[in-house]
Amino acid sequence: MITITHFLIVSAILFSIGLYAIIAKRNAIMILIGIELIINAAILNFVAFGKYDKVNYAGQIFALFAIVLAAAAVAVGLAIILTVYRKYKTINPDKITDLRD
Amino acid sequence: MSILENISPIYAAIIVVALPFAAFIIQAILGKKSQSGNISLIAISLSTLISLVFVFAEIWQNIPRSATQPWFTIGVNTFTVGILLNNLTVLMQLIVCVIALPVHIYSRSYMKGDPGIHRYWMYLSLFCFAMLGLTISKNLFMMYIFWELVGFASYLLIGFWFTKESAVQANKKAFLINRIGDLGFLIGIACVFTMYGSLDLVELFGKEGLFYEKHIDNPVLISMAGLGFFLGAMAKSAQFPLHVWLPDAMEGPTAVSSLIHAATMVAAGIFLLSSVFPLFNQTVLLCIAVIGAITAALSAYFALAQTDIKRILAFSTISQLGFMMVAIGVGAWDAAMFHLVTHAFFKCLLFLGAGAVIHEMAHLKHDSQLDFDPQNINNMGGLRKYMPKTFILMCIASLALAGFPLTSGFLSKDAILISTFEWAIEQGPAYLLIPITLTLVSILTAFYIGRLIFKVFFGSFKLNLAHVSLHDANKTMLWPMTFLGVCSLFFVFSLNPISYHEAKILNGFYVDYGFAEIHSLHILIPIGLTLASTLAWIIGWKWYVKGNYPLNANGKAITFSLNQGYINQFYQNTFVEGTLKLSKGLYWFDRTIIDGLVNLLGTVVQSMGRMSAWIDKYIVDGFINTLGQTTYYIGHLLRWVQNGRLQNYLGFAFTVLLIGIIYLILT
Repeated sequence: MITITHFLIVSAILFSIGLYAIIAKRNAIMILIGIELIINAAILNFVAFGKYDKVNYAGQIFALFAIVLAAAAVAVGLAIILTVYRKYKTINPDKITDLRD
Repeated sequence: MSILENISPIYAAIIVVALPFAAFIIQAILGKKSQSGNISLIAISLSTLISLVFVFAEIWQNIPRSATQPWFTIGVNTFTVGILLNNLTVLMQLIVCVIALPVHIYSRSYMKGDPGIHRYWMYLSLFCFAMLGLTISKNLFMMYIFWELVGFASYLLIGFWFTKESAVQANKKAFLINRIGDLGFLIGIACVFTMYGSLDLVELFGKEGLFYEKHIDNPVLISMAGLGFFLGAMAKSAQFPLHVWLPDAMEGPTAVSSLIHAATMVAAGIFLLSSVFPLFNQTVLLCIAVIGAITAALSAYFALAQTDIKRILAFSTISQLGFMMVAIGVGAWDAAMFHLVTHAFFKCLLFLGAGAVIHEMAHLKHDSQLDFDPQNINNMGGLRKYMPKTFILMCIASLALAGFPLTSGFLSKDAILISTFEWAIEQGPAYLLIPITLTLVSILTAFYIGRLIFKVFFGSFKLNLAHVSLHDANKTMLWPMTFLGVCSLFFVFSLNPISYHEAKILNGFYVDYGFAEIHSLHILIPIGLTLASTLAWIIGWKWYVKGNYPLNANGKAITFSLNQGYINQFYQNTFVEGTLKLSKGLYWFDRTIIDGLVNLLGTVVQSMGRMSAWIDKYIVDGFINTLGQTTYYIGHLLRWVQNGRLQNYLGFAFTVLLIGIIYLILT
């Protein structure tokens, strides 16, 4: 039988993969995907925990909200990436170090 | 003429002193242009004339005169300068003039052609000025000034041939030894001033002078004053053990030796002691007599073996000065002055004669191209054939020196000897040693001067030359010598040739002897001495003329005498070497200890500075720098964090979050 622990483990794996992708990838798109993976890990947790809230389905609702938010965030992120690409001709975050003084 | 007759002896005496000084100044200004010496000669001639006519004739056996002028005041004490004319001073002044004049005339010929002759006349005039000034000084302080000037002038004259190393050494020696005496003189002056508060000779020793009025009960101070003056006289009059400068002073021109030896510089000591005679107490007098006797004996002994003609005469002078010292020591300073005067003439003559001989020998040396010492009597012999006039004059002077009857030396020497005998008999048997020494010295004197005459004028000429061209000196040199020769005879001083009591000079001083007259001595001593002297001559004749010389020329006694008793070596080893060693020691001390200490201190300070610098650099600055660097590193560390890379920021953020979570879990 699949218990909540299995969900949490999968979620943690997803989170870790996502985190790794955010920190290590040399491509802004992949970073966005990493963010998506983290959000997905969070959504998975929401959904898993939502099993214990059979009255309001708050978990499922939050998951829906989060999916919408993620889609919006990706849209924003893509827009930023496009703008950055236009300015720097690259989307490798290692090379975009203008935040530094 | 009436103005001339009424001229004051005081002013005349000042003129006598001033003339040679003027000559000195003129010679100094003219420099090399004036070589004839006429200026000096005129000055000294006028001095002699004035001294004789206006000073000596006026004062001698008359009332003494004096003049005083205040000079400067220190506190309440006023120092004065003044002229004192009494029998003693006018006699001394006249003798200096009368001896200086023939020496000047003689020098004209003797020094002719010398490249430094203009200097010679200058120095000679300076010397005469100093000596004449010394004679008539009324004040001990003024006397001291002239005393120093005499020393300085003699320094110049002895070192006249200053290119000769020996002359330079000799004048240095003379000057240094005279400085010792000057110190004594100064101590004497200081003591007298302490006791009486005055340096005026009349105020001190006059008939109602301080010396008799103000009783000072301090025998030590009085003795010290006396000994101080005696020390001054010892150096000037070349008394043992300060006699060493005089034989070396022979390095000067012979005419100078003659002047210095006869009446001037070396006589100054006797003159000084006669001037301050009342000051001496019994201790000092005995000391003077003993030193005089030792000097007379030692130098007569040294004269025996000398080969340098001038050195024999130099030792003879020292010996005769010893006689005079003894006379002062026994209280018969009039006899000392009398001997000084007679000695001045014959010793001056002896030197001038020796100068004539040396002059001829030097010419011979020059003509023959041979290298020999023109002053060594071993190179001479038989000169009486070539220089008969010089020979006769030298014989007269030698007889006078030996104290032969009919000469002046006979009178004065007997005066001293008999007085000394009388004094010794009065004092006690132990004191007889002094007159007996003097008697022996008299016989030795006859012997050594006989040796000189025999070796120089008798026998055959020692040098092996084909052609000997020696002749008497020219008239300019012979006349002064003849004058001195005449003055060496008895009638100049006393009409009675055998009794000194009738001597005019001796009677000029009214000295109260402290001893009784013993009549038998007045006959015994002259006869005995004459016989003994004749015997000495006979022995000398046999030894030196006949050639029966019985002694080993390298014998110990003769070598000892020839080397002047090794006194010079002793001084060299003790004082000169000692001083050099002391100086070296002090130099070492200065270099090693003093400088070492200073250097050590320097090094210590330097090290301390270095240490401070190190502390400052590494500890103080180091602390600050470490602080700064630490801050810098921390800053650097943080700067590295803020590298503008998004992923890094995220990584940090996550890490911090993780740490936070772990922290929360753990707590």
